[in-house]
Amino acid sequence: MRKREKEITNKIALSTSEKVIVVISYVFMGFLALCAILPVLHVVSKSFSSAAAVTAGQVLFWPIKPQFETMQYVLEETPFLNSLKNSLIVTGVGTVVSMLVTIGTAYPLSKPNFKGRKIFILAYIVSMVFFGGIVPAYMVVRSLGIIDTYFALILPFFIVHFNMFVVKNYFEGLPESVEESARIDGASDLRILVSIVCPMSKPVLATVAMLYAVNYWNNYFHATMYTTSTTMQTLQVFIYNTINNTQTLVERLVIGHYTNVSIDGVIAAVVVLSMIPIVALYPFVQRYMIHGITIGSVKG
Amino acid sequence: MKSVTEAKLRPVIKPRKGHKFLPYLRDHYLLYLMMLPGLFFLIVYKFLPLYGLTIAFKDYSIFAGSNPIDAIAKSEWVGFQHFERLFASSQFVKVLLNTLIINGYKIIFLFPIPIICAIMLNEIRHVAYKKLCQTSIYIPYFFSWVIVFGIFYSLLGTYGIVNNALAALGYERISFFSDIRVFRGLLVFTEGWKEIGWNTVIYLAAITAIDPTLYEAARVDGAGKLRQIWHITLPGLAPTIVLMLILKVGYILETSFEQILVFYNATVYDVADVIQTYVYRMGLGQADFSLGTALGLFNSVVAFILIVGANTVCKKLLHRSIW
Repeated sequence: MRKREKEITNKIALSTSEKVIVVISYVFMGFLALCAILPVLHVVSKSFSSAAAVTAGQVLFWPIKPQFETMQYVLEETPFLNSLKNSLIVTGVGTVVSMLVTIGTAYPLSKPNFKGRKIFILAYIVSMVFFGGIVPAYMVVRSLGIIDTYFALILPFFIVHFNMFVVKNYFEGLPESVEESARIDGASDLRILVSIVCPMSKPVLATVAMLYAVNYWNNYFHATMYTTSTTMQTLQVFIYNTINNTQTLVERLVIGHYTNVSIDGVIAAVVVLSMIPIVALYPFVQRYMIHGITIGSVKG
Repeated sequence: MKSVTEAKLRPVIKPRKGHKFLPYLRDHYLLYLMMLPGLFFLIVYKFLPLYGLTIAFKDYSIFAGSNPIDAIAKSEWVGFQHFERLFASSQFVKVLLNTLIINGYKIIFLFPIPIICAIMLNEIRHVAYKKLCQTSIYIPYFFSWVIVFGIFYSLLGTYGIVNNALAALGYERISFFSDIRVFRGLLVFTEGWKEIGWNTVIYLAAITAIDPTLYEAARVDGAGKLRQIWHITLPGLAPTIVLMLILKVGYILETSFEQILVFYNATVYDVADVIQTYVYRMGLGQADFSLGTALGLFNSVVAFILIVGANTVCKKLLHRSIW
């Protein structure tokens, strides 16, 4: 009897502590979500608020005296659109090139009897774990005469080793029999790759394409190292320069008589505009990135 | 039907089992052709710079040859002179320490948080709320460091929202971006802001893979939530935790570079200059190519040891390889 009583009290006590854990979880995760969202909301609000409100520090998480002049200023008076164009080209062309090169490398390496497989794989592993360094890489790019070209921004990411190995491992896991029957029908290696292997690997290829695209879009370091002219700067370089050269910004604002545009507003607007592609593609990005975690963990 | 007859008419191509390379090449030349762009990349961008590493042992002048690579061959060998200069400089010790301290802080303060978050997120039963939290927390992961910089510049600048709040409460404004006392904290915090959500999702994926019957059995045995977390969730997460930690330590020299390159400025070099940023500034900014390459080589060798070491530990402990 006493034992049972004890059990019951125990159960009640447990459920209270359980409740505490659950409540803490709800509150803390909500707090974390706000921490991620509010800063973004803050810059968005700033970019649409009046210059006076921004300068006075009144803007929190909602625009005050909304205006579109800041956005208009950024679009019309700064090299924003040009750098957007550069980023779109590098990301678009780069992702396609990287996918072609990655698939073209991963497929032969995924074949167990591919002659020279071991040597090639070793070469890729060596180049993955031992990096020549920033200065020698720069020397090579300069010797190729491709400084300040789109090619210089794409070449470093022809293959991201991790992505290539993910694709290779996935190809290795595909059933051999389908390819075999196609081969009996006389299909070439290229044909098998294009019309059988790739369609079967759509999810993993989409994930890897996503990884490449985000990488190209977000890259700042290579863009700043390998480009020199203003016309070639990518979005990331442009944003960085805008934030760090407020002096020129002030002069431009004064000369152009932009009375309702503030420096902080412009910086916020630039950041917001460059976030748009990522946020717009977020549902898509999110789906394939989550998938990416699972393929990463399948790897044995 | 047609394909069957065709297959019968055509001689069946058997996969050749022999070790002859040429017949294999004839049958599968397409496989080699499709590898060419990758090999071009490998040779030009990965292996040619390895030759460039000889700059570290030469008195390199970029104008000695018709192009920077040609100039390498024409520069004089000087042995370990640049390394002696490097190891004797106080800068070297400073950037090495900064690298270890900043990344050490990041591991100590940030590594456990996503694990706790994933466990908490897993306790949320309200599906829509869980989804909302999950989706929100890892948005920052997809922002570039430049965007993160822009956002935090907006928040923490001298007249940013945080400093305005401090001023309103009667405190002094803090120069987050140029005060050496808080700058490392800023690096750790922004790294956390960007990465915690994503890492949480990774751990959450690992939690979902745990066999649910284990929890049922524990509940039947009268184990409460805390005990379930301690005895089922954490052991279930252990391989992922170990893997993530090994990777973090293995890549300790690679991470933080782009973040610091974007965030830092001359006033905080003392506390924020890491090996890679120093290499970049010396080697390219100030055109001390040989010194930059020497330090870069040092960095590459240590990174190589760390990564191969991490992989060995991974194989031993978890029976899986990083590559």
